[in-house]
Amino acid sequence: MTLLAIIAILFIGGVLAWLSGRLLGRGSRWISLFSLLLATALLGRYWPDFTAGADVGSGGELWWDSLQLTWIPRFGISFFLAVDGLGFLMLALTLLMGLFGLIMTWRDIRFRRGFFYFNYLWILAGVIGVFTAMDLFLFFFFWEVMLIPMLFLIAVWGYEQRIYAAIKFFIFTQASSLLMLIAIVGLVYLHYSNSGQLTFNYRELLSAQISPTAAYWLMLGFFIAFAVKLPALPVHTWLPDAHTQAPTAGSILLAAILLKTGAYGLLRFTLPLFPEASVAFAPVAMTIGALSVIYGAVLAFAQQDMKRLVAYSSVSHMGFVLLGLYALNTIAVQGAIMQMIAHGFSTAALFALVGALQQRLHTRDMAQLGGLWASLPKLSAIALFFAVASLGLPGLGNFIAEFLVLLGSFDSSRWITVVAAIGLVGAALYALLMMQRVFFGESRGLNTDATAKEPVIDLNPRETVALLSLAVALVFLGLRPQPVFDIAAPSVAGSLARAEAARTEQGTVKAPTSIETATRSGWPKSISTGGESL
Amino acid sequence: MSAQEVHAILPLLVLSGGIVVLLLQVSFWRGHLAASITSLITLVAAIFACFQVAGRLTSGIDSIAVTGLLLVDHTALFFCLLLLLAAVAVAILGFNYLQQRCHEGKPFSSYPEEFYILLLLVMLGATTLVCASHFASFFLALELMSLALYPLLGFAVTGDLSPQRDQMQSLESGIKYLLLSALSTAVGLFGIALIYAASGVLDFGGIAAAVAKLHQGPNLLLTGLTLLLIAMAFKLSLVPFHIWTPDVYQGAPTPITALIATVGKGAVVAVLLRFFAQTDLFALPTLTSLLAITAVASMLAGNLLALMQNNIKRLLAYSSIAHIGYLIVAFLIGNSAFGSEAVIYYLVAYVITTLGAFAVVGLIADSAMAQAPGGAGPINDSTSDPFQRDYYRGLLWRSPWLACCLAAMLLSLAGIPLTIGFIGKFYIFAAGVQGQMWMLLAAVVIGSALGLFYYLRLLLTMVQRDPEPASAAVGGVRIATSGQILLLSLTAALLLFGVFPQILINWINAL
Repeated sequence: MTLLAIIAILFIGGVLAWLSGRLLGRGSRWISLFSLLLATALLGRYWPDFTAGADVGSGGELWWDSLQLTWIPRFGISFFLAVDGLGFLMLALTLLMGLFGLIMTWRDIRFRRGFFYFNYLWILAGVIGVFTAMDLFLFFFFWEVMLIPMLFLIAVWGYEQRIYAAIKFFIFTQASSLLMLIAIVGLVYLHYSNSGQLTFNYRELLSAQISPTAAYWLMLGFFIAFAVKLPALPVHTWLPDAHTQAPTAGSILLAAILLKTGAYGLLRFTLPLFPEASVAFAPVAMTIGALSVIYGAVLAFAQQDMKRLVAYSSVSHMGFVLLGLYALNTIAVQGAIMQMIAHGFSTAALFALVGALQQRLHTRDMAQLGGLWASLPKLSAIALFFAVASLGLPGLGNFIAEFLVLLGSFDSSRWITVVAAIGLVGAALYALLMMQRVFFGESRGLNTDATAKEPVIDLNPRETVALLSLAVALVFLGLRPQPVFDIAAPSVAGSLARAEAARTEQGTVKAPTSIETATRSGWPKSISTGGESL
Repeated sequence: MSAQEVHAILPLLVLSGGIVVLLLQVSFWRGHLAASITSLITLVAAIFACFQVAGRLTSGIDSIAVTGLLLVDHTALFFCLLLLLAAVAVAILGFNYLQQRCHEGKPFSSYPEEFYILLLLVMLGATTLVCASHFASFFLALELMSLALYPLLGFAVTGDLSPQRDQMQSLESGIKYLLLSALSTAVGLFGIALIYAASGVLDFGGIAAAVAKLHQGPNLLLTGLTLLLIAMAFKLSLVPFHIWTPDVYQGAPTPITALIATVGKGAVVAVLLRFFAQTDLFALPTLTSLLAITAVASMLAGNLLALMQNNIKRLLAYSSIAHIGYLIVAFLIGNSAFGSEAVIYYLVAYVITTLGAFAVVGLIADSAMAQAPGGAGPINDSTSDPFQRDYYRGLLWRSPWLACCLAAMLLSLAGIPLTIGFIGKFYIFAAGVQGQMWMLLAAVVIGSALGLFYYLRLLLTMVQRDPEPASAAVGGVRIATSGQILLLSLTAALLLFGVFPQILINWINAL
């Protein structure tokens, strides 16, 4: 029930924020803050579960907590929420980043504040649904629910090109997720044809017997949807636009949380549901990952717009996640999970900093910025910290993550790993170049003008505390990453067990149970549950 | 005709009786409100009659054949109910529409009462069509529906306060529909003649027998069936028989646009479903591949052409072409329980959503009419024409509830979760996967992606944050209470069946 309560609190909090913004004209921020804190406190209740029974997960595949209600019995769809180690990490990331974004942009939004926080909380609720849904239909449901408020967030409060960016973002994700819907329906239908059991339950679909060809096609359906979200190379073009045009809070949510849903989906659904197909596809996926790393770094290097630079660096960093996931061994996958968290922290902070700069100087163009250290010492120092975190300085979370990914994937595919490692050099280049152009060097005309009119104000205590707590978290992850690995270990082992089994028995042909030899055809006649008749 | 048979067609009798009463009432005492109340009472009584007949049917008998012309069963009654509910909505919309455009005080200048008589005639045709099991009743019903629609399409002429341009466009739409519909009727009638020549029967059961031994005989029967299918495709505005749709939809009074889009198409889908199921035409690959081709063409052409529209009614017209294309995908998986379940679910979703979308558009136009009676405003300016997309700029900030309703309708048309349109699309996908029609599914995906663009563009126009000060003339949109209640109930149904689809699934499966 705790999971349902968290989602419900955010949904209701969103509606209340809108109503209070509309009727009273105030209070929506406090309502949002309060509901987020309440949700975080509820999530915190799982912490003792982990410390007390850390070995629970390793034995069987037990959820820490779950809730299952029948929803649409016609199709065997249930309202099934569950959380395990991986889910817990993602939920914690979601709520903490939600709080961070809220606090960082406390004063940014002036236009229709109530509606803004309505969308903000609904995005978070949708994402939490995505991270906890263990019924594929429900997963898809939340997957779509989180998109609409994001669309509004970009389209209403974004910058110059916001409508274009919002529509592009939505069409990319929606079209690819329709492919996933076909794949989900296909998987369920094949499972039903072979076993006679109509269900969308994740656990039960894990045992589906599918012919290799069908599995490969279905796997592609899932992979494309998640790759668009990740984003991976050929389908990443929505991301720079969406990130750049979104308001600061929207960029934080996009970078820190929404991108992670793609990686989460790969780890939770694609790999375990289609182990053989994933093993066969792994070289392609790893190549895409490595290319994304390089490509993102090169394009980040070439940007004038500071926000676009950070956006392309996300492409680069998420390439590491893809690489690590498809290396299909524990070290690399753990590294990928760590990268998801560390990238969430560092990129969210960078977007927040760019947003703070934009608010103060009204530009993100690096050609106009320069020599800001003198006027904004605190902001510049913190930016330096997150820039070097982003390039993977040892001692910070990002280093652990990228190191583990490279270590693990070296085992799987040597040359691809070598290519990806070059990306680290690129990261150093673009991150340091950004520091050089924006914060060091000569002070350009623009900000002297600005100082002449009104003194540029450095970070205030609220922003400083929020950013510093992220910095502390990154240092902690860099020095003591083990708790994260311990929490994620059972889920990772569960996800990888089948893929590793598939890899060892690759070559032995499984009995094909194709749709032609299926025992049943057609969806079942509905089990009418006592409905009214006309 | 036994008493049982007479009882089985009670909804039709109620409608006929209502028409007679309304005719008499109007000849002796003209009154807009009174006429609309009589028609509403008739419609509600017909709805109750549907329930009454359904109650009789459950006691052992599945279906009642009425004189070989009509066959009343649960599915037919369900369609009747759906169409009658849609007609109630149209009557309410029509009342609001005519209220703004007809002078009450001056007698003999405008006659809004005929609207309701014609509406009831359309409904009599539609409900008869849904129950038809013989080509005689089929043809009569189809013609009754079409003949009553022609004057309705041109009804803007009646309102003496309608702007000149509206009257012209309305007439144009009526004449276009008259000519093309007559042509399609002729084609369909020729098809029926060929079928009769080949098989010697006119009832659906007899044709089923003829179809079963089709491979022996000449292809006359197949030709006849194809021609008949073309006539139906015209009514459904499937590509390439869709040319009339945008012009007719745009020119017609908005309530009539809603009527022709929901009742006009829903009744034809119902009879198509029954005809194909009873005569097992799914077994004929010629017909199914023809339908598949038109479905793909409708999805692609409908969505592509909708991309270029700035007029909301034209946009919705093209989008409805695409939606019937989706529906045909579910239709094509053949004579299975799941296929008809999917078709019925999608049709319900389509009717609710289309009705809602046109209701919002129509009510907004009515409110604009109230502010500038007689089209006094400069109508060529795109921000003051209530059917142009620009008019909707910043609607969410001006009248949030109305905009929320329209947003829900648009999201449902786009097939986004929490709305009934999503469950409908899910059914389409499930049907496509069962039939393994990957090409059609690919067309659905491409069509949906295209569709997203224009739905989203309209949706985002409503949340534009910089309303130009010049268009400040359009303040908050004020709509009548009856319209508000209608919109709220449509939106509530849309969300209810979108979040808890099992309720509706149970009803459909109880058929």
